[in-house]
Amino acid sequence: MSFQQSLNSGKFVVTAEVGPPKGTDIKEMLHDAAALKGKLDAVNVTDNQSAVMRINSLSICKILLDLGHEPILQMTCRDRNRIGLQSDLLGASVLNIKNVLCMTGDHPNAGDHKEAKSVYDIESVQLLKVVDSLNNGKDMMGNEMKGATDFFQGAVVTPEANPIEPQLMKFEKKVEAGANFFQTQAIYDIDKFKEFMKSARKFSVKILAGLVLLKSAGMANYMNKFVPGIIVPQDLIDEIKAAGKENALDTGINIAARHIRQLKDENICDGVHIMAIGAEDKVPLIMERAGLL
Amino acid sequence: MIITKKRDFKELIENIKNYNKFFLIGCSECATLCATGGEPELLAMKETLEADGKKVTGTFLAKTGCQVLGTKVELKPFKEALADTDCILVMSCGAGTQTAVDLFKDTPVYATNDSLFLGNMTRLQMFDERCSLCGKCILDKTGGNCPVTSCPKGLLNGPCGGTNEGKCEVSPDLECAWVKIYNRMKRIDQLDQMRKIVEPKDWSAHKNPMNINVREEKEESKK
Repeated sequence: MSFQQSLNSGKFVVTAEVGPPKGTDIKEMLHDAAALKGKLDAVNVTDNQSAVMRINSLSICKILLDLGHEPILQMTCRDRNRIGLQSDLLGASVLNIKNVLCMTGDHPNAGDHKEAKSVYDIESVQLLKVVDSLNNGKDMMGNEMKGATDFFQGAVVTPEANPIEPQLMKFEKKVEAGANFFQTQAIYDIDKFKEFMKSARKFSVKILAGLVLLKSAGMANYMNKFVPGIIVPQDLIDEIKAAGKENALDTGINIAARHIRQLKDENICDGVHIMAIGAEDKVPLIMERAGLL
Repeated sequence: MIITKKRDFKELIENIKNYNKFFLIGCSECATLCATGGEPELLAMKETLEADGKKVTGTFLAKTGCQVLGTKVELKPFKEALADTDCILVMSCGAGTQTAVDLFKDTPVYATNDSLFLGNMTRLQMFDERCSLCGKCILDKTGGNCPVTSCPKGLLNGPCGGTNEGKCEVSPDLECAWVKIYNRMKRIDQLDQMRKIVEPKDWSAHKNPMNINVREEKEESKK
């Protein structure tokens, strides 16, 4: 079953993130990906995440596709203008990549090429409309194309953005622009997430809750301080602290598994997107403890 | 106005090391307000160059340094000094510098300032960038605040995930342009406008180099 079919079937889907490395040695990444094979509904390949220059998403998507994975191509608007984006989308299409996640992209200021000229010729909402147009056989200027794409397009949303109102307005625009599924920024407070889902459920789109694996109390504090839109509640930080240093990661895995179980059992959303950030090999264990394997 | 900043002095000295007789041009408009090319700065530059053993043949404060013809007329009394000059330093913006390049075909011209942005002066010598001169104004869609300029990503359809309690992820000193726009549109009862998708910007409205002939356009519109 394809990712799209899985989502539409009502199955609780699971995706995880694979980050292409900086440099040409992809052995480790392939090793991590192999551990996920057959367990996920799709694997999400990041596009120079945090504006750190790496292998492009498209190449790794193609490699993973050939290895039997179902990739989701992340596309950001930071590095390519509208010509480049459309051209890469057509390229992805002929390489049989079916899923695309449309994002604006982290600012170069966050990355390792701070002097780069950022492009942002178009942005996430507009990119979704571009994909829709390509799916209908026309480029964004309305020019007829020889052969249309057939993408299943998604977008991102930050349920804990503060203030939330403008974020929700943008979410609605993304729905209107053609997003079929959403992957959220990491959430840790399920009750607050339920509030967001009340707004989201008004629309016929699929929502995958984003889960970032907590590896230590320090990491949680760091995210609270420096990552906008991520709030790790104090009781979770205390839980990791109480477990002691050696058991911190294991506790983080338990928390993620517990959250997944609750999201699924209470039918809160349509699936989860696991971001293990360097601990991709732990994703199967999270799924196992969540009762998904 | 055009906001300028003094260039790194070492870089400037390196550029002009082979010249000895300088004529200095400042500007009474923006560069004066930025304290990069007014009367006091012209004087200070003269003293610095002279202390370095260079000769200053004259100093001149243009009324509006980006006005080519006006500046040409104002420079007439300096004919003699200019004839004895082997390098011109312009202490205004890039536009003022290129006025001098236009007027002095055979003399090297150097800028002493970097040109930064079109700025609003909020208090004395404090400037904010509000407009990027993009060629196609979208203020009507954003409650009068420009996200092309004030959002580091130039987003047209709302905040990114990096908005943080009204601040921008790029810098905690920066207000999130879209939270500001949201608050403003709420206040003026235009949130419905904010719900509409803004189409991709027509960047062809600003193609370097821009030029316009207002007189010709007036004639055209009369026809």
